[in-house]
Amino acid sequence: MSETDKVADMTFVPEEFALRDEVRWLKSEDLNLFSFIRQSMNKIEPAYVSTYPPSECGIATFCKDVATSVAKYTPFSKPTIVAIKREHEIEPYERVVRYQILKEDRQSYLDAAKYINDSSIDIVNLQHEYGIFGGDDGEYVLDFLHALKKPAVVTLHTVLHSPSPNQKRITQEMGKMCEVMVVMVKTGRNILLDGYSVDPAKITVIPHGVPNVHRVASSTVKRALGMADRQIISTFGLINRGKGIEYVIKAMPKILEKYPNAIYLVLGETHPGVRKHEGESYRNMLTEIISELGLEEHVRFNNRFLSLSELVRYLCATDVYVTPYLSKDQISSGTLAYALGCGKATLSTPYLYAEEVLADGRGILIDFQSPESVSDTVIKVLDDKDLRESLESAAYHYARRAAWFNVAISYLDLFDRVLRRSGVIKEEPTL
Amino acid sequence: MEMDLVINVRRNGAVPIIDLSGEVDAYTSARFREAMVELIDGGSANLIISMLKVDYIDSSGLGALVGGLKRSTENGGRIVIVCDNPQIRKVFEITGLEKVFPIFEAEVDALGMIS
Repeated sequence: MSETDKVADMTFVPEEFALRDEVRWLKSEDLNLFSFIRQSMNKIEPAYVSTYPPSECGIATFCKDVATSVAKYTPFSKPTIVAIKREHEIEPYERVVRYQILKEDRQSYLDAAKYINDSSIDIVNLQHEYGIFGGDDGEYVLDFLHALKKPAVVTLHTVLHSPSPNQKRITQEMGKMCEVMVVMVKTGRNILLDGYSVDPAKITVIPHGVPNVHRVASSTVKRALGMADRQIISTFGLINRGKGIEYVIKAMPKILEKYPNAIYLVLGETHPGVRKHEGESYRNMLTEIISELGLEEHVRFNNRFLSLSELVRYLCATDVYVTPYLSKDQISSGTLAYALGCGKATLSTPYLYAEEVLADGRGILIDFQSPESVSDTVIKVLDDKDLRESLESAAYHYARRAAWFNVAISYLDLFDRVLRRSGVIKEEPTL
Repeated sequence: MEMDLVINVRRNGAVPIIDLSGEVDAYTSARFREAMVELIDGGSANLIISMLKVDYIDSSGLGALVGGLKRSTENGGRIVIVCDNPQIRKVFEITGLEKVFPIFEAEVDALGMIS
């Protein structure tokens, strides 16, 4: 086996379909045991309302991950995705997408609610970010919730400290109409209580899920990537101006004085929504900075969508992961969660999500818009092997609780509690 | 790569007990399955799985258990679980598998049932 194959094998993230597969095999091999298990197992049928892959958006990825993870524990249930898409866009969705909402078509929201009301769906999990729904600040989502007669759990991907009056109204209305609001960190709960007066009994915290990755020594993976002698700093995700990548690039000259082989990997393509409005102007600006600073050999873009295994491979090779984001209000970050899940030494600007998940020695906070803060902290982490290992270990063990298989159990538990409270009676399902 | 599951097999009288320690997940469940199959094919259809030291179990781990149960029942046996970790018990409770696998907090009770 070649070195590259070995590393691909080590960083491979295995699928976990075993429970569903085992049950399917049982049906043909041992009908009595199959029937017994079918009678015994949980049969919650959730619907998820969200953007959905192949739409390129963090919330779409999140929705797929949570729906897939929950389904792995419920082999006798049939999950439904109600996908929000832009009009005139044709998305080659998977079959699990059984209904589509046209983002700017108000009637479409009412039709989707009716579809769910008339179906065997037990509960709805709606992924919320203002921008993914139609109307001002995505207010059409309220039409959907008003018309919905099934219990709803709303997962909030944005909780603004200083919302506009309309944004505040929408969140408060959602809080009244849904059974539970899920936030990913305690800070989000506090903001909902203080700024939006949401009923505390309706708020629950479930962390952002992370892939189930077993740790691999970065040196082994670096060799396979042809970067054995490099100190790797990385950032990944859909690129846009809010990422603050220029501040890490500007930090590189000082880092290179101490570590001449250091390289900064920017993994991911430009956010499709951003590309539509401004093309690649942000990336072009970054390229100009790289050129001005003569960093062509020390900053590398990987401007494409990366598979989970590819992403994990790059993260496993990383020495220092950075989220240099610019918005203090950011209340979740899939990329930061993933870096913790891979057990990386992580630096971040102190946006709300980062402040909480990197506390207690799980990461280091850096100043907003400060190349000096980036360079000083990166050098500190690269200099101190014990510090790096301590950060890596603390991050990994913290994030194990947030592995998708654990997050799925939290969602299933929540769905179960909501349904019991709502007195929903379920019919016997068929596989 | 860290392989975060330690599997140890011992016997209490005629009853084999598989002690699991660590994480039963997509990376490790195949080894767990092999351990069960080996014992069952070796004539020990009744098994006790001790999960007292299990930190996490995912759907692969549950799948391995269902596969083991099939093999065990084919041979006239049963699988009983020992577990006092509320997080792990929650997984069995929320999936409904607690109705499929008898679960005891203490090994002595599991032995009492299987004997």
